[in-house]
Amino acid sequence: MKDLSIDFCGIRFKNPFMLSSSPISNCAEMIARAFDAGWGGVAFKTLATQATKIIHPSPRLHNYNYGPSRVIGLQNVEMISDRPLEHNIRDISWLKKNYPEHRIVASIMGFSNEEWKELAKAAEGAGSDMLELNFSCPHMSVEGSGSKVGQAFDLLEKFTETVKNATTIPVMAKMTPNITDMNEPAMYAKQGGADAISAINTIGAITEIGLDDLIPRPSVFGKGAVSGYSGPCVKPVALRFMAEMAQNPELGLPISGIGGIETWIDALEFLLLGASTIQVTTGVIHYGYRIVEDMIEGLSDYMEEKGFNSVEEIVGAALRNVHHTDEFDLERQGFVEYDLDRCIGCGQCYMVCQDAGGQAITWDYEKRRPVMDEDRCLSCMACSFICPVDGLIRYKEAPKGWVRHDPEPKEI
Amino acid sequence: MELQTKEKKVFLENPMEKNFDLTLAVEEASRCLLCFDPPCSQGCPAGTDPGTFIRKLRFRNIKGAIRTIKENNSFGWTCGTVCPTERLCELACSRTEIDKPIQIGKIQGFLVEHSWEIGFAPLKKVSADKDKVAIVGGGPAGLTCGRELVRKGYQVTVFEKKKGPGGNLRFAIPDFRLNQERVDREISEIKSLGVEIKVNTDLEALGGISGIMKDGYKAVFLAPGLWRPIRLGIHGSDMEGVLSATEFLEAVRTGQESGFKEKMGGKTVVVVGGGSVAMDAAETALRQNAQDVYIIYRRSYEQMPADEREKIQALQNGIHFQILTQPIEYVGESRLNAIKCKRTRLGGVDESGRRSPYEIDDSEFNIEADFAIEALATEIDPSLVRKEVDLKWTGNGLIQISDEKYSTSWPGVFAGGDVARGPALVVEAVADGKGAAQAITDYLEGKGGR
Repeated sequence: MKDLSIDFCGIRFKNPFMLSSSPISNCAEMIARAFDAGWGGVAFKTLATQATKIIHPSPRLHNYNYGPSRVIGLQNVEMISDRPLEHNIRDISWLKKNYPEHRIVASIMGFSNEEWKELAKAAEGAGSDMLELNFSCPHMSVEGSGSKVGQAFDLLEKFTETVKNATTIPVMAKMTPNITDMNEPAMYAKQGGADAISAINTIGAITEIGLDDLIPRPSVFGKGAVSGYSGPCVKPVALRFMAEMAQNPELGLPISGIGGIETWIDALEFLLLGASTIQVTTGVIHYGYRIVEDMIEGLSDYMEEKGFNSVEEIVGAALRNVHHTDEFDLERQGFVEYDLDRCIGCGQCYMVCQDAGGQAITWDYEKRRPVMDEDRCLSCMACSFICPVDGLIRYKEAPKGWVRHDPEPKEI
Repeated sequence: MELQTKEKKVFLENPMEKNFDLTLAVEEASRCLLCFDPPCSQGCPAGTDPGTFIRKLRFRNIKGAIRTIKENNSFGWTCGTVCPTERLCELACSRTEIDKPIQIGKIQGFLVEHSWEIGFAPLKKVSADKDKVAIVGGGPAGLTCGRELVRKGYQVTVFEKKKGPGGNLRFAIPDFRLNQERVDREISEIKSLGVEIKVNTDLEALGGISGIMKDGYKAVFLAPGLWRPIRLGIHGSDMEGVLSATEFLEAVRTGQESGFKEKMGGKTVVVVGGGSVAMDAAETALRQNAQDVYIIYRRSYEQMPADEREKIQALQNGIHFQILTQPIEYVGESRLNAIKCKRTRLGGVDESGRRSPYEIDDSEFNIEADFAIEALATEIDPSLVRKEVDLKWTGNGLIQISDEKYSTSWPGVFAGGDVARGPALVVEAVADGKGAAQAITDYLEGKGGR
């Protein structure tokens, strides 16, 4: 097994895998079981002061399924921790004492400068290794909090500064994706003194509308709302924000990557695009804490196979290949190549090429096989995505000087 | 398999108990590759279009999927349940080349059941003011022909000799394979479209075909089926305990003779034959609490015409297969005690395409048995042949029809189902009903008629 430990804001994590601040990191009992399962750290579910009473809507979650795939997305109206602050503080202390090798990041959310200060001090006092500032919950039922702060950059900077002045431990600002350019709020956080950025929090969304009652889900006694959406379906969006922040030379802060991570491959992609820790919730809601075992083994085996000696070497390794589209070499073109010996004759390639591609395929009804005219292929590759036989359809670079022929209308 | 006591006997593969629910059906539909020219849709004799109804289900167009099935076939549930899909639509499925075919029959059965659950009946009654058409025989061929014709506006009466409609679906296929309530539901849907069904009415009571014609019917569709069991005709056939599968299955199915449970309980039953009816009879005997059930077959396992899944199921349920065995005599006083048999061996291929059996000299042995059920083929009721002399009959005792047109030698008289094609599948009877309805329509509209 490879050493998966990594430095994050000067703190050593035994591995980059963390629980994010959510129902899965609600209390010491749960987190202890997660640590036992292999998780390296936790962002403890967001603490608030006693001044604001937190009540969760009921029901809190709703699933987004695709065909037989369940929970490819998850919508929630979950609030921050509704437990008394003293209980959460006690839990953090207990975890620090019993799991000294694991890292506790206390997520906090204040509703005033004073509250931010109070929470930061309390969390540090309990032994937290770091703080995560929740500027990003998209559906707080308390005014002037969550992503409202994350979208009001000066407030975000002010609260970060407040917390920095009140504590000595590293501070990480958690970003909302419900904006246009994440580098903007991230830079404000940096100016406020943030030591790291975590992203993304959930995306404002509606997953389903009841067709009988016309109420968006989850229906909280007849009312639906735009609220936070997470899970595998948001990963591509999260990866975009990773790359954009990691490629911003002015920002230059470590990033904790969040968004739809379930497997070591998902986690690795975040690392490759510049995250140095990763955080998970929806994957655990779906499959339990046990999934970390496969992340650990998978990442270790990948490092072994590819010759990486530390996780640090992986962080940002793919960034050099992320370009703007105007940098593409348009001189080089290609088309698809079919291995018809393996074709089962379903004809989906034909349909997609007719209706969405370059009409490069005709259908041999007798043999039930596609007939490819590569001179018309757009190299969109859509046929290869739909083909049920893996690797049957492949991309091939065209010879120099090759010219694509557009189809002529049959009769004009 | 564990030894089972009578009380605890568990029957495997009961198709009545493991249908899909909506989630599982959509999940199965999601496995479908949604072929451009679906081979499954070309694999059904009755023109069922799984490629379309599975796609509709996949895109949650559930009512549309039900509509596709019911517009094509009123026996969608029955066919989905008893059709040997593994050698029809599912054999053709492209997915087979990746892993295993889509379970088309189960999806179809589910969709029909779902239509009942949500109260969705896509077919509406149309006013019937066209010619009167008579249908002789209320099995799947006759009822299908009837429903096709009423939908085109013809006035249809189905005359059924037995006490209820359904033919093989009611009087032959056992209830554990085909639930009576659901068959009745499909038949009641056909009735609700305007098909009139007169039971307990045989052809003789109507004065034969000419009698029907005199009553103002402009066309007749003959689909009475084949109900006379062919018997072995060996010594002792008249003994108590020797019976045909046809009478046994009908008695159990209709409950007319409810005494079989008492009579067969703890006894040994021997079924003679290797087709689907033999499997049905053997499985039914097991369910009458018989202690031991044998299937005696003169060829080998491979030559048995029953579907593979039926054979496997029979073996799994504990039925003893006594292959390469020819019964030659029933032994007993007035009641059956044993069946004297000879061992056989297989020789060359005969005209049926199977290797034919030869009895081995001096190989006689007795199988002790309380009941012998002969499950051979069935044939036409000979009185029909005698009376309807104006019809042309084939050498095999079937009604001769013109290719694809279903017309007999008698203008205006059409025939289909088992009586014209010999013993066949339910789905083939449905296909005949549809084809004959089209032929009758063409005839009555003066298009294809003579």
